[in-house]
Amino acid sequence: MGASMWSLQLHTVSVPVPLEAFWRYNSTRKRTFKKLNIVANGDAKNSKNLPHQIMVVKSNKPNLPVLLQDAVTKLQESVKSIPPPSLLVKKHSGVSLPIALSTMVTLLVIILRNYVAKRSKPNRPGSVADLVRRGQLRSDRRGISNPLKYNDPFNNPLVKVSKSNSTVEMCGQVYRLAPVTLTKEQQAVHQKRRSRAYQWKRPTLFLREGDSVPPDVDPDTIRWIPANHPFATTASEIDEDLAQTNVYQKHGVPFRIQAEHEALQRKLEALQSEQKLGKLVIDPGAAKDFERPFKTRLKTEEQLDQGPYNRQMGSNSSESEGARDSFVNQHSSEEMDKP
Amino acid sequence: MLSLQPLNPKPSSLYSSTFTPPNSLSPKTLKPIPAFRPSRNFYPSIHSMLQYNRKPQLAGDTPRVVVITSGKGGVGKTTTTANIGLSLARLGFSVVAIDCDVGLRNLDLLLGLENRVNYTVVEVLNGDCRLDQALVRDKRWSNFELLCISKPRSKLPIGFGGKALVWLVDALKARDEGGPDFIIIDCPAGIDAGFITAITPANEAVLVTTPDITSLRDADRVTGLLECDGIRDIKMIVNRVRTDMIKGEDMMSVLDVQEMLGLPLLGVIPEDSEVIRSTNRGYPLVLNKPPALAGLAFEQAAWRLVEQDSMETVMMEEEPKKRGFFSFFGR
Ligand SMILES: Nc1ncnc2c1ncn2[C@@H]1O[C@H](COP(=O)(O)OP(=O)(O)O)[C@@H](O)[C@H]1O
Ligand SMILES: [Mg+2]
Repeated sequence: MGASMWSLQLHTVSVPVPLEAFWRYNSTRKRTFKKLNIVANGDAKNSKNLPHQIMVVKSNKPNLPVLLQDAVTKLQESVKSIPPPSLLVKKHSGVSLPIALSTMVTLLVIILRNYVAKRSKPNRPGSVADLVRRGQLRSDRRGISNPLKYNDPFNNPLVKVSKSNSTVEMCGQVYRLAPVTLTKEQQAVHQKRRSRAYQWKRPTLFLREGDSVPPDVDPDTIRWIPANHPFATTASEIDEDLAQTNVYQKHGVPFRIQAEHEALQRKLEALQSEQKLGKLVIDPGAAKDFERPFKTRLKTEEQLDQGPYNRQMGSNSSESEGARDSFVNQHSSEEMDKP
Repeated sequence: MLSLQPLNPKPSSLYSSTFTPPNSLSPKTLKPIPAFRPSRNFYPSIHSMLQYNRKPQLAGDTPRVVVITSGKGGVGKTTTTANIGLSLARLGFSVVAIDCDVGLRNLDLLLGLENRVNYTVVEVLNGDCRLDQALVRDKRWSNFELLCISKPRSKLPIGFGGKALVWLVDALKARDEGGPDFIIIDCPAGIDAGFITAITPANEAVLVTTPDITSLRDADRVTGLLECDGIRDIKMIVNRVRTDMIKGEDMMSVLDVQEMLGLPLLGVIPEDSEVIRSTNRGYPLVLNKPPALAGLAFEQAAWRLVEQDSMETVMMEEEPKKRGFFSFFGR
């Protein structure tokens, strides 16, 4: 609302002279209307300004729109409740002119003050600022609702480069500036130095320690992954093609979920036909029981080819390792399976 | 408004044709947009009011795949990724940040998104979810998304970790809403399998280093490996610079660092306690209002990254601010 009002004013200012009068008239009219609108929607805060505004309205527009009538009656009541200045004027007709003048001046001052106050106060009642005040929104996290101002970090009030370009003031502290002298030739020299110092081939083959090197493979490109590496594994229990298609999949059910679902379905159907349990209602608990063997089967495979290495590395190994290991594995697998 | 009028030869036509009503009453936004602003040094007083609404020019082909790496740990890769990523998003570019730090994932913490990571790339590869389900959209800037490689406990099949990242970049390019402008990869420390995975899809690299000799040696090594791998566009960010220590010759200056590495500078980030505070809040520094010193520096680095620019002058030591007569008695 405020914005449109201002753009309107802007027009008045910028329009050439002959039209000026018309525009000014138009804009003041609209402005009073705006004010009235505020009054009509009004709340307690605005109502104390009412007497002055009604004056303006009356002088400008005798016929008020229907939507304002409500407010007007309210206003009239409040106007009635204050001693009407006209009475005073009638009683002492001798001093009427100065009194009238001073009343006018007072009114003018009050109107002006209200106007200035309204202008300086940016947030209108009912704006998002109230949500912030009520703790529903955090003021500093309103990134999306704030219109973005591209804040040029180089041309910022907090960054001031001195005239001679020798110092910069950032956040209140002055720093000396020095030119960068690195040339392309120097860069090339450094590159050459590095290419001599560090010869490196990107590893293309990842092997677990202890695996045998396949023939016709450049040993420089092999990367040896320790079996107990905290986050890397060479085991490709994941089907590469399936993984790739899933990365590109945009809609629908991912393949693993689908496969599990189908496997479950098949098992249930098999069971049903075997045991002639066709009419039995299957409860979700029973379904979970079918799911488990499917998952642990995958795990035991992994566990099998991991077992020997743990022993080899001598890390926490004991006779009961198998049991312990499976416990740990199951434990972690359950954690992993949580979405 | 009247005071601005004499600046424009034909105010009425200009205002009516190009003026868009601002959203707030703040007088700053009422100023004309820079399309017809007078030359920079002509009206110095108005200059600072007209600063908004400029945007960096995007150079290079999109998506720009940038890996943020360092060799040494704890020098500020993750901090850089979070702050540059969000700066780019704030400038209006769409950004996907990939946390490739498999073992020690913490980009989500810095961004305050830790509670929203349900799926990771490992689940995508396993077929447990689709790629779009693994992307975590930031609520502050909806054009910023986070993708984590794996959960702390799960293992990444290293044999095709790099391949998988290339697929991911491809799949992001082919998204219905259009590919991202920037894919920023937070690389793990070291030159291990995780590092190799992280640099595979990148075509440019940002090397983060601190001005100390250990970090520099690692940085040099990593630069060598990147160059061997065919990544030519490498720029460096010198982090945790203490201008007060440079002055006392207790710390290498940024120019010393550059002399040792021979890399163009993308940015110089001062040591700033606000960095730690912003980590605690899960609220990257560049979003601070008013901006912190390090936040400004990150923003400037992001700006240069967009324009494929590098620094021509660097901040050196602090200079005493010229004060009044009585400053003689203080300090
Ligand atoms: N400019 C800086 N000023 C102060 N502290 C910093 C700065 N940059 C990084 N840090 C701190 O250094 C630590 C490591 O940063 P981080 O970004 O996690 O490094 P990395 O990802 O390289 O391991 C964090 O605690 C961070 O708060
Ligand atoms: Mg990190």
